[in-house]
Amino acid sequence: MSDLPGSLSWLWKGCSLLIILFMVACSTPDNHAIRFGLANAPISLDPRFATDATSARINRLLYQRLVDFDEQFRVVPSLADWQRINNTRYRFTLRDVGRLFENGEHLTATDVKATYDYILDAGNASPHRGSLLNIKDIVVIDDNTVDFMLNNADPLFPSFLVIGIVPASVATQGQVLNKYSIGSGAFRFVDWPGNDQLIIERRRDKQRIEFIHVQDTTVRVLKLIRGEVDMLQNDLPKELVRYLEKRESIDVDHLMGNNFSYLGFNLQDPLLADKRIRQAIAHALNKKSLILFLLGGETVSANTLLTPDHWAGLKTSQSYDYNPEFARQLLKSAGYHQSHPLQLEYKTSSDPFRIRIATIIQQQLAEVGIKVRLRSFDWATFYGDIKAGRFQMYSLSWVGIKNPEIFRYVFHSESIPPKGANRGRYSSTVVDELITKAELSVDADQRVKYYQQLQQQLLQDLPYVPLWYEEHFMATNKNISGYQLVKDGNYDGLNQVMKKL
Amino acid sequence: MNRVNLSVGIMIIWVLGSLIGQWLPLDVNQIHLEAILKTPGADNWFGYDDLGRPVFDRLLSGSYTSCVVALTVIALSVSMGTVIGTLSAYLGGGFDHIITRIIDIFLAFPGILLAIALAGIMGPGIDNVVIALSVVGWVGFARLARAQTLSVKHREHVIAAEVMGTGRMKIIFRHLIPLISTPVLVEATFGVASVVIAEAGLSFLGLGVQAPDASWGSMIRDGTRYMLVAPHLVLIPGLALMTVVLAVNLAGDRLRDKLDVKMQINKSGV
Amino acid sequence: MLRFILARLFSTIIVVFGVACLVFLLIHLVPGDPVDMMLGENAQMADRQALREALGLNQPVGIQLLNYFVHLLQGDLGTSLHSREPVVQILAERIPATVELAIASLLISCLIAFPLGIIAALNKGRAWDKTAMGVSMLGVSVPNFLLGPVLILVFSIYLGWLPVSGRDGLVSMILPAVTLGTALAAVLSRMIRSTLLEVLHEDFIRTARAKGDSYYQVVIRHALPNAMLPIITLLGLQLGVLLGGAVITETVFSWPGIGKLTIDSIMKRDYPVIQACVLLISLTYVVVNMLTDLVYAWIDPRIRLGQSS
Repeated sequence: MSDLPGSLSWLWKGCSLLIILFMVACSTPDNHAIRFGLANAPISLDPRFATDATSARINRLLYQRLVDFDEQFRVVPSLADWQRINNTRYRFTLRDVGRLFENGEHLTATDVKATYDYILDAGNASPHRGSLLNIKDIVVIDDNTVDFMLNNADPLFPSFLVIGIVPASVATQGQVLNKYSIGSGAFRFVDWPGNDQLIIERRRDKQRIEFIHVQDTTVRVLKLIRGEVDMLQNDLPKELVRYLEKRESIDVDHLMGNNFSYLGFNLQDPLLADKRIRQAIAHALNKKSLILFLLGGETVSANTLLTPDHWAGLKTSQSYDYNPEFARQLLKSAGYHQSHPLQLEYKTSSDPFRIRIATIIQQQLAEVGIKVRLRSFDWATFYGDIKAGRFQMYSLSWVGIKNPEIFRYVFHSESIPPKGANRGRYSSTVVDELITKAELSVDADQRVKYYQQLQQQLLQDLPYVPLWYEEHFMATNKNISGYQLVKDGNYDGLNQVMKKL
Repeated sequence: MNRVNLSVGIMIIWVLGSLIGQWLPLDVNQIHLEAILKTPGADNWFGYDDLGRPVFDRLLSGSYTSCVVALTVIALSVSMGTVIGTLSAYLGGGFDHIITRIIDIFLAFPGILLAIALAGIMGPGIDNVVIALSVVGWVGFARLARAQTLSVKHREHVIAAEVMGTGRMKIIFRHLIPLISTPVLVEATFGVASVVIAEAGLSFLGLGVQAPDASWGSMIRDGTRYMLVAPHLVLIPGLALMTVVLAVNLAGDRLRDKLDVKMQINKSGV
Repeated sequence: MLRFILARLFSTIIVVFGVACLVFLLIHLVPGDPVDMMLGENAQMADRQALREALGLNQPVGIQLLNYFVHLLQGDLGTSLHSREPVVQILAERIPATVELAIASLLISCLIAFPLGIIAALNKGRAWDKTAMGVSMLGVSVPNFLLGPVLILVFSIYLGWLPVSGRDGLVSMILPAVTLGTALAAVLSRMIRSTLLEVLHEDFIRTARAKGDSYYQVVIRHALPNAMLPIITLLGLQLGVLLGGAVITETVFSWPGIGKLTIDSIMKRDYPVIQACVLLISLTYVVVNMLTDLVYAWIDPRIRLGQSS
């Protein structure tokens, strides 16, 4: 190396300079931006198409929607107030806030109509179409007023209008906004350079938020500790949360959530059609110790899909207590005992946390004599299998459920996939009737009563064994303030968050 | 000499431990929620894993897995490979040509890649691991056997046997194979070490044993998720793996040295 | 020399053909219907038919093989079942990462192996030799899915000097390259030692020493260049081990290269991508081996000048 010819020496110097510049360029982060770590990358910034939780939560920041929900998950106005003209006609009047699109256009009733018409057009294959089928027509009255005409009366109709509004110019031209947004929300889109970094900007004070995708839990935690990421929400095992709590430089906050985890059964399977088996399983589970040792501190045992503080939530209920002895008796009465054990197959996704929970459930069921075979699959296969009814037991969660319309979607006998999400093929005339009665009742108190009866019936029939409502937690560096966790786990706290440099 | 005794000793512990472990009332899959991620201490030998299962018991169970897989795969690979390689070299001609080509094609897949692809496509599970590793393993032994046979098939007593009219199969099994057995044995010893690593590697990738069964590779993989709070989950099975493989490799090394000496003596003797 | 090149080329082509055939056969090893496997059994009859036709699985195997080769020669490796992108595009995105890692690992392994091997050879039988070979034995016995996490434990978690995983600048390449490189260095150092020992016993070495050259000069000026021949061959072969080992190392460090792509596709059962990855890696290995042989032949004057046997 001592006697390089002149040209080579320059080449070497040039290369080193480039390498240094490269390293510097790649390692200068924007320190003013608030960096939010994500376990899953967002998939689409088009509210007409996004279905995954991460995309939906980010889209809430970028777009406005007609309605939103309060603490008891009742519908409240967001972009618009509404008025029920008659049983099948609602008039929405746009308010003043959130009317400016990122491209400078003014949000009017035409944009509202265009967005919903686009979704209702079957040719566009929007996954949200199914929830809006009751809409017969949308009429623009003036710039600030739009009417929705329904096919059937539905007192809860406004709660379906949660889709972010896109400009009419986008909708009519058939444009799909996957990789950037044109919304009128509190935030505007800045950049999405790679799969792992999405940048948006808060309009009122130009505060930038960077969403950084880090799959691995250890890496995400280390990034938080080293300051490469400023905040993390959810998606960490309890041990790592505890690890963060012990650290001086990190603040950790918890809140009870409304993500409902459950064990689903295939009621067409000869073994599981027997209610005693399902009851035995419910009594065999030691939910308390599972929650205590594996789940966050604010996790609460669940009895039904809607949380207790939901306006239609179950107020009083029996519960399936942990009673392995009783479980064994139930199994015996169904003909299963030591020498003739019940054998079931339990399917789960390949998420390591789900597998961990499933392994524990497998063990708890083994203790009452049920032999469970655990099979884990990649998401696509798993989801396909449960939709097609190719399973005996599976576990999953319903995320952010606010609308009691979910009961029709999940438990009505006509909602078998692909029409709905009644994957267990549950069919009960009592429940079907209660669902319809609740939907049609005009008296609010009567409606609550029907939902109570409905959930009681579901608890008795056990098409699902309800597990728990998982908590949300937030870990932030000490220089972050103002972020509030929200019950359904969305990122609305980013509207208020501040970073002290 | 001491080194050899230590390596052989470790190997014996490995095999015996695995076998005994199958008879002991182990707690391999018993979950103790209160003991989740407990580090090794006075009251327990190796701590507990992320489901509160005792690491010691799972270690023994994984030991059995690696032992059985290694010995099965080597037995299959050696028998298939030696027979095919010897046959090929002895019979020669078109058959030899084809076999050599096939060997070349298999050897064109570097290292564990073909095993990964096979196991990945056939589906996870320890049986498929054994099949995949055997399909990949026989080739090395075939090539060795062939090369060795080529060099010994012109030895005097082989030719004598041919002249006497001994059947070809007899020549192969009674004369050729015993002649080449020592280098094959050395290769087999190293093969055991590499299969132990390969099985652990496949289990690490999720293609080998399936939950809740234990393998050193899957224990290491599960442990990497908790490295921040429970490094013992990676270090303990890792240490076990390294110790066993090192011992086998050392033993193979010594065996080869002894063999070289023997061959030197043979050469000068003949 | 020309004859040698042609012969080598010819045998390479046969092996390439064989490798491609074997990779083609892999997908037919799937127990049950490959289409069912791909669509996850949730497809309608029509979708299943469509995929079967698109993949040509409704035709006899011979025709399928022919189509496979036709597409291959046109550079068409099919479409990913997961992302619907052409596989060639996906591969092209991921190749640079693996190439970077391979080069860095090769450099690190040479940096470790050469000193180790030379020291061992020069001190044969003595303490240095035993230590060096002991270290090398250790390197062979510690697989990279163990070394990787241990390095992460020490350097990322405990000391906090280096990033845990991902491809995020030059610094993040250090741990994966060291992991891959040390495994290679272990084997390489032994080879260097034994080759050097053989060469050191040659007559011309004794002549050089008799002429008064120092031991150091003898090694660097005379022994090493002669030992380079088999070492270069080994380096070529070891590239294959590198590529094979990269699959696991890339997974441990979430390094977005071909190796990780292979594993991800296996998990998602994206068969066209699995096939393409395996094909790419093995063909690279075959080609590198052939090139190594040619370089060897060119460097070795005995072969270049066509010595008659």
